[in-house]
Amino acid sequence: MRVVIAEDAALMRAGLIRLLEDRGHQVPAAVADGDALLAAVAEHRPDVAVVDIRMPPTHTDEGLRAALELRRRHPRTGVLVFSQYIETRYTAQLLEGGAAGVGYLLKDRVADVAEFADALARVAAGGTALDPEVVGQLLGAGRHARGLAGLTPREREVLALMAEGRSNAGIAAALVISGGAVEKHVASIFGKLGLPPSEGDNRRVLAVLRYLAS
Amino acid sequence: MAATGPVTSMTALARAALRAPLTRRARDELLFCLAGVLVGLAVLGVVVALLVPGTARSVVRAVAIVAVLLPLALATGLGRRLGAAHRRLAERLLGERVPPPALPRQGSLGRLGAGLRDSPSWRALAYTVLKAPIAVAEGYAVFLWAAGLANLTYPFWWGLFRNHPPGVRLSPVLAGTPFPGRVLHISTYPGTFLAFAAGVVMVLAAPWVTRAVVAADRRLLRGLLGPGRLAERVRDLEQTRALAVDDSATLLRQVERDLHDGAQIRLATLAMHLGMAKEKLGDDGDPLDVAGARELVDAAHQNAKDALAELRDLARGIHPPVLDNGLADALATLAAGSAIPVELATDIPVRPTPAIETIAYFCAAELLANAAKHSSASRIGLRATGRGDLLLLSVTDDGGGGADPGGSGLSGLAQRVSTVDGRLEVASPPGGPTRVVVELPLRA
Repeated sequence: MRVVIAEDAALMRAGLIRLLEDRGHQVPAAVADGDALLAAVAEHRPDVAVVDIRMPPTHTDEGLRAALELRRRHPRTGVLVFSQYIETRYTAQLLEGGAAGVGYLLKDRVADVAEFADALARVAAGGTALDPEVVGQLLGAGRHARGLAGLTPREREVLALMAEGRSNAGIAAALVISGGAVEKHVASIFGKLGLPPSEGDNRRVLAVLRYLAS
Repeated sequence: MAATGPVTSMTALARAALRAPLTRRARDELLFCLAGVLVGLAVLGVVVALLVPGTARSVVRAVAIVAVLLPLALATGLGRRLGAAHRRLAERLLGERVPPPALPRQGSLGRLGAGLRDSPSWRALAYTVLKAPIAVAEGYAVFLWAAGLANLTYPFWWGLFRNHPPGVRLSPVLAGTPFPGRVLHISTYPGTFLAFAAGVVMVLAAPWVTRAVVAADRRLLRGLLGPGRLAERVRDLEQTRALAVDDSATLLRQVERDLHDGAQIRLATLAMHLGMAKEKLGDDGDPLDVAGARELVDAAHQNAKDALAELRDLARGIHPPVLDNGLADALATLAAGSAIPVELATDIPVRPTPAIETIAYFCAAELLANAAKHSSASRIGLRATGRGDLLLLSVTDDGGGGADPGGSGLSGLAQRVSTVDGRLEVASPPGGPTRVVVELPLRA
């Protein structure tokens, strides 16, 4: 996997490079601001870009703007937005053009190296990786309280993991249940929420997110 | 040498006295008095016109007219326009800049109600009325000038008009004196020199009399046509409140930025390094990569120590714990940490409130840092004294001077100090020494 990194904190940048290279990935460029990111992606055509939100010069949301621009210019490059805060507004902006090849994670998640690498790989492959915080905000928004109230606690857990972008196997591993049990839960959730059954992980995530964000 | 001092100062005084009538200031003040006389006459004219023929009925009529016209004048903003005209005149002729009063507040009572409650309008009208008695004094100043100058001319034209043969008796010519009720009767040529002498006295005295009268008018101007003491105070408080709010918002923002870019990043990286080390050690059995894991744990360890140091600095920047023991202890710690030797003297018998102590502490910290950075001084004096209700903090250094009170650092300090009604004074001539005195109330 080829990864371009945009992160202005040198310490974190060096750590990420090391983490990725340790796992056999390539990091052709690691830059510290949005413009450099766009240039680096245009040059190296990576599978995925890891983008910090707050970067110079204004230290507000230039990373996010660069990420949206990346999605417009290079729809086949995955974008993992990587920040110290989760902002609902940013989530909405990121998911506006669809959830394929998009990730939004808290920086804290690098602590679980394998999970982080897994999420990055998902985004690179056109999947989705949303932080549990993002999903929590979506579930807690209260717009679908009635629909969600019909789910069992287990089904709600499965829904949250689906919204994070995990595959059936990932959900099964996280909840320590069998793949068949996951499939049954998923079918039940889609039935209760009135969602059309969809094939494939990505389409399923889209359906769930569309439901939560509608 | 010792004797020349008083002598030169006497000559200087005499020169100033002789030159006073010829200065531009004298001319402008005379013009101001003339304008004042015209205003006074106008006011007097209005009063007389209202009261003629002076019967009880005319008084009633005058009161009725005033009762109708006054609200009209206030509602149309005439009072404010009058005040503005007076202020313009004073600025043009006296160079007296009186700040205009705050703009009227739009009330629910409409223009009439707002006008009637508009204190600047009332004060401008009061000034115009009070101008009448002052105009009398201003008239006297004008008289001194006019009569004095006229008196000076007597010896020159006497010969042209008064060269009658001896024995012819002519009625005496009148000449003014400094006392308006009294006149000189001049009937001989030598007598004209008496008029001339009186003229000299009057012209020499005129600029000073004018100045005194104008000074009284200036007081009245400032008192009645300015923003008013309460309004000025309110404006002051509004400004300093805005500064205080901005200041604390900026401070919080800075703290967030420091946490975000500092300790938070270090802790996240630390967690990442530990996560990577964990992988290298494996879930069970023999470690997969001991050397790599050791290196990562080392990095994490370093990150943890750095994060602790950063958090400690940040916490101390928010509130230095030593300040809890009092300002004297806190300043001693500060002085001990300075790169340039600091002579510290503290005498604070009554402990200021915590807010004042904090402001004083951060002022001292910034001033010491300034001195260390810019002055190339070899010694710094830091003194904190309680005097009455005030806390005086002074920082002096023997460096190169030239500190700019308008610079962002010092003006920022002055702003922070002003939020508690304190003051900051800077004396820093080029070549030094620099002395900054901060005056704070003991309680805020």
